[in-house]
Amino acid sequence: MRGFWGTAVGALAVVMLLIGSADAAAPKRIKVTGEIIDTWCYITEIMYAQGSAHHRCAIWCAVGGIPVSIAGKDGNTYMVLKVEGDSQNVANPSVLKIQSHEVSVEGDLYERDGVKYLIVTQVHDDKGVINLTHKEHGVQP
Amino acid sequence: MSRPLKLIAMVAAMAVLSVFSSFAQAADGWGIEGEKVVRYDAKVVDILCELSGDCPANCGSGKRQLGLLKDDGTLWPVVKNNDPFAGAVDDLIEYCGKKITADGLEIHNAKMKIFQLQFKRLAPDGKWSRANWFTRNWSKRNGAEDGGGWIWEDKTVEALIAKDGVLGVPGMKPPKE
Repeated sequence: MRGFWGTAVGALAVVMLLIGSADAAAPKRIKVTGEIIDTWCYITEIMYAQGSAHHRCAIWCAVGGIPVSIAGKDGNTYMVLKVEGDSQNVANPSVLKIQSHEVSVEGDLYERDGVKYLIVTQVHDDKGVINLTHKEHGVQP
Repeated sequence: MSRPLKLIAMVAAMAVLSVFSSFAQAADGWGIEGEKVVRYDAKVVDILCELSGDCPANCGSGKRQLGLLKDDGTLWPVVKNNDPFAGAVDDLIEYCGKKITADGLEIHNAKMKIFQLQFKRLAPDGKWSRANWFTRNWSKRNGAEDGGGWIWEDKTVEALIAKDGVLGVPGMKPPKE
């Protein structure tokens, strides 16, 4: 009988471990503060791509359907896939309005193949464009 | 060689060149750090659907960012096509759920791995087309002959810049160039 229970406990432990590994694909709730940026110009560094200097280009790229990301103050870059229940992530009118803004958001993070994807569940703060980079970099491009 | 024969030879040569250039079509490097010129078959997927199970019909019909799902399970977000300042959803949406041959650049960056599409075809042997359907579709929608200068003519861009200015701060002017 003791052998049976030992086997059962062992099997349960294996099942728990398997459940744990399945959970690795589940999202993680995080809070992020950072700047709304144009993913292509920012990642490739083909030009200076932050703040007021790049605002017009960020508008072009977002209207053109390039994904929008958040350059987090934590050093990470998060591609935004959904904002407060609105799952249009190509040229979303409400996101077009906040290009280059500094925002604080909360959301669900999915990490896959070298990309941090963020589903924003709540925008807590929007400070507008406060990174006045045009003084140093002019207007890019 | 007689004139008709010369003409036939020229037409034949052009046909051969055309077939060859179509076959040899390959992405150009942009000199971006971490770029890798690639061509492979992959399935076109709605990224949000792939990650979260939130799956509207037809990959969101152009309103969702699309990615390439390779046979080994790797997902690449396609963030850019070959048009100026444009993404690749217009190029990919008709292939939702299908496998294409994608020709372009993988950008291997520590911050984020992204894909730029330059050519595409339905796998394995569909007809190649350039990844420039954003401007093609924009021209159709706006009755323009050429979409190359779309950023200067687009009404949505115009309204956003009119509201907040070039710098994104109402009333603040850019430095004189």
